[in-house]
Amino acid sequence: MFDYYFKLGLRSLRRNRALTALMILTLAVGVAASVSTVTILHAMSGDPLPHKSDRMFVPVIDILPVQGYVPGEKPGFAQSQMSYIDARNFMSSNVGVRRTVMYGVAGQVEPARKDLGSFFAQGMAPTRDFFAMFDAPFLYGQPWREEDDASGADVIVLSRALAEKLVGTSNPVGQRVMVLGRPYLVTGVLATWDVVPRPHHIIGSKGAFGAEDEFFIPFASAIRHETEHDGGMSCNGDNNVPGYQGMLKSGCTWLQFWFEMASSGDRAQLQQYLDAYAGEQRKLGRMPRNAPNRLYDLNEWMSFLQVVDNDNKLAAWLAFGFLLLCLVNTVGLLLAKFSVRATEVGIRRALGATRRDIFRQFLIETAVIGLAGGVLGLLLAFAALAVVSQQSAELGTVAHMDIPMLLLTFAMSVTAALLAGLLPTWRACQVTPAIQLKSQ
Amino acid sequence: MEIRPILSALMRSKTGAVLVAVQVAISLAILANTLYIVNQRQAVAARPTGVAAENDIFYVSIQNMERGSHERQLAEQKRQAALLRALPGVMSVAQTSQAVLSRSGNFTSVYIKRDQAAPSAEVSTYFTPDSLVKTYGLQLVEGRDFRPDEVPEINDDVDTTFPKVVILTRAAAQQIWPDETSFVGKTLYKGNGADDPALRVVGIVERLQTQVGQVKPRGEHSVLLPARLTGGRNLLLYAVRAEPGQRNRLMQEAEQAIRKSSTDRMLVSIDTLEQHRKERYRADQGLSWMLIAVSVLLLLITASGIVGIASLWVTQRKKQIGVRRALGARRIDILRYFLTENFMITTIGVAAGVLLALGLNQLLVSQLEMARLPPGYLLAGAVVFWLLGVGAVYGPAWRAASISPATATRSA
Repeated sequence: MFDYYFKLGLRSLRRNRALTALMILTLAVGVAASVSTVTILHAMSGDPLPHKSDRMFVPVIDILPVQGYVPGEKPGFAQSQMSYIDARNFMSSNVGVRRTVMYGVAGQVEPARKDLGSFFAQGMAPTRDFFAMFDAPFLYGQPWREEDDASGADVIVLSRALAEKLVGTSNPVGQRVMVLGRPYLVTGVLATWDVVPRPHHIIGSKGAFGAEDEFFIPFASAIRHETEHDGGMSCNGDNNVPGYQGMLKSGCTWLQFWFEMASSGDRAQLQQYLDAYAGEQRKLGRMPRNAPNRLYDLNEWMSFLQVVDNDNKLAAWLAFGFLLLCLVNTVGLLLAKFSVRATEVGIRRALGATRRDIFRQFLIETAVIGLAGGVLGLLLAFAALAVVSQQSAELGTVAHMDIPMLLLTFAMSVTAALLAGLLPTWRACQVTPAIQLKSQ
Repeated sequence: MEIRPILSALMRSKTGAVLVAVQVAISLAILANTLYIVNQRQAVAARPTGVAAENDIFYVSIQNMERGSHERQLAEQKRQAALLRALPGVMSVAQTSQAVLSRSGNFTSVYIKRDQAAPSAEVSTYFTPDSLVKTYGLQLVEGRDFRPDEVPEINDDVDTTFPKVVILTRAAAQQIWPDETSFVGKTLYKGNGADDPALRVVGIVERLQTQVGQVKPRGEHSVLLPARLTGGRNLLLYAVRAEPGQRNRLMQEAEQAIRKSSTDRMLVSIDTLEQHRKERYRADQGLSWMLIAVSVLLLLITASGIVGIASLWVTQRKKQIGVRRALGARRIDILRYFLTENFMITTIGVAAGVLLALGLNQLLVSQLEMARLPPGYLLAGAVVFWLLGVGAVYGPAWRAASISPATATRSA
């Protein structure tokens, strides 16, 4: 019977082509709009390290002078990064399973190949634990050794893209590359690392959805060579010693710090450490604000720094409002379509079909429309995402469809169409056969 | 116009009317809000930077891997600037520490008293050894540009010397001294410590946006400081003003001239103020286009909904229309009947839509930090949907009016 109603549905769709096309198009547009915006929102707000995000913590302490302090205010940009002094103290603390401190570096890469001129590249200067903490996938080699962190050795981990640009697809581990004006020994090459949002790049204007880092050098090496940092820095007045060494001794905040704990339950322990640390520093005359010391796990950190900006949420909300409109519209159009078929219903009822049969037939017909709308909506969503990813590199990394989204699209459009079809279908069932037959 | 029979007919078949009214309401709520957001974003993106003839400006940025001594760096800077100035078609060159709307640069806090607790303003700092006023074509409204003897040469690695004079934008000056109208000769402090440098105001420019171009008034809180800096990250940036229409040609020539002039290992890159502006507002433009697309689709879908329901009614009432026509109703009466009926439904939809739009706006204000909707947008939205309603129903209504009176007699 299902088969028969399905065929009837298809046949009926062909009967009034303009109306059918309009319905399918309306549904498809509504579904495409909501699916494409939700896909982007979903990718943007996704948890990049689901198995450990609740035990990765960013410490936020306030070392600014008392002036201008409003008790209870939320930490701002100045507090969201860390000074060199505090970062070094935290690094040597032994708290947690792993710790890392990092900052952005950028500069010239000079390829050995003569056919390629020197070019600009952006990277990070973290400590060794960074790679394990953020699940960086290695294609060749491994991270540098602990000793390299201690000595500030000139070693480097390349991104796959940079490695291929410099030496092609061969394994460059053990070779030296000229980066930032200095030869660095390659210890490893990362495989393509396309996690979004980039968990270690949440801070900074575009980092979370930006391009991959092209290289990684030890934090200690970058500091030893006084490598200028590429990113935001916040200083307060007391930075009076000039030059790089002056900056290291100052209260300027420019570093990002992460703790990895053994379990999420260790949060209290970390908080205790942080409070104790702040207490000690206060004895030394630092941190005069006595502001609360805070911890943010990865997901809290993402929402604190508003990884998903309000524009993306706005787009998703409006898209759902739009889908709602499309559904109301479909209800109206289905009503129009079914009501002209009262005669057909009358005859079928007179020939013995029950209300249930009629209901089933019309619902299947609606489902056919929903299915067609879904397929078309999916195609439109693909097109919309392609257009969006053309708009900017950042959106390009988030604007792609994943399988769960694909299934959701289908489920959503068919359910939506069925819901929209309920009222018109019920109305169609109310036809009294006698009246219909009489009026012929 | 006989409203009562229309009303009673409507009351007998409410479903269609409700569907149309709901569509109008949802569309109006979304349309009013999206149009407002688009307008706001466009207004933000259209703000002037303060730079005259923006499309003639391009930037040469140079990173030299062999930076050498303080003296060598000073000589290099002067040589590179002279080289650029000598290119035919270049009107003016100014070295600068940052570029307007480039989203990369520095802010600093300024104070008007040494022991003041909170800063008077957070300003964006443009350090320049040349005349950025001239190259950018900034409009001096008070005072003068820097004199060559006011430009210190500072080695950032070892020296804490700071310029003695400053040029402010009018917005920054008004923020710092809200009650004054004349600012030249006043003193500012960079920091509130006892030995933080003092700066004497020598000039006021009408406008110069910051490197970020914030939406708030802060977007124009900029200061110009005269200094030739060495050390630090050693990234040199030259703003170049080309003669009208010469920019694209000069961009290539400038890059080649710089590259050819030195055997040092260096990175040279070129970009334009036009690119910076485009990048700065890319997200706003993207959102605007998306919202415009949604609005157009919204109108189309609502119109199709009205056409659909109206056609349904015409089909359903074919016989009644025939009877009315047979009893003496003119075509215009039938037409007017449908138009009035639709206008009544649309009006109900518009009324509900205005409430819904305010509700949606309230949600956007509280959840997404958007601005409050001015009433003009609601009125505009209402007019749009009245017109849309009349336009959409006209086709089916005309078909209804064309039904011949004989229809009434044909079937039982």
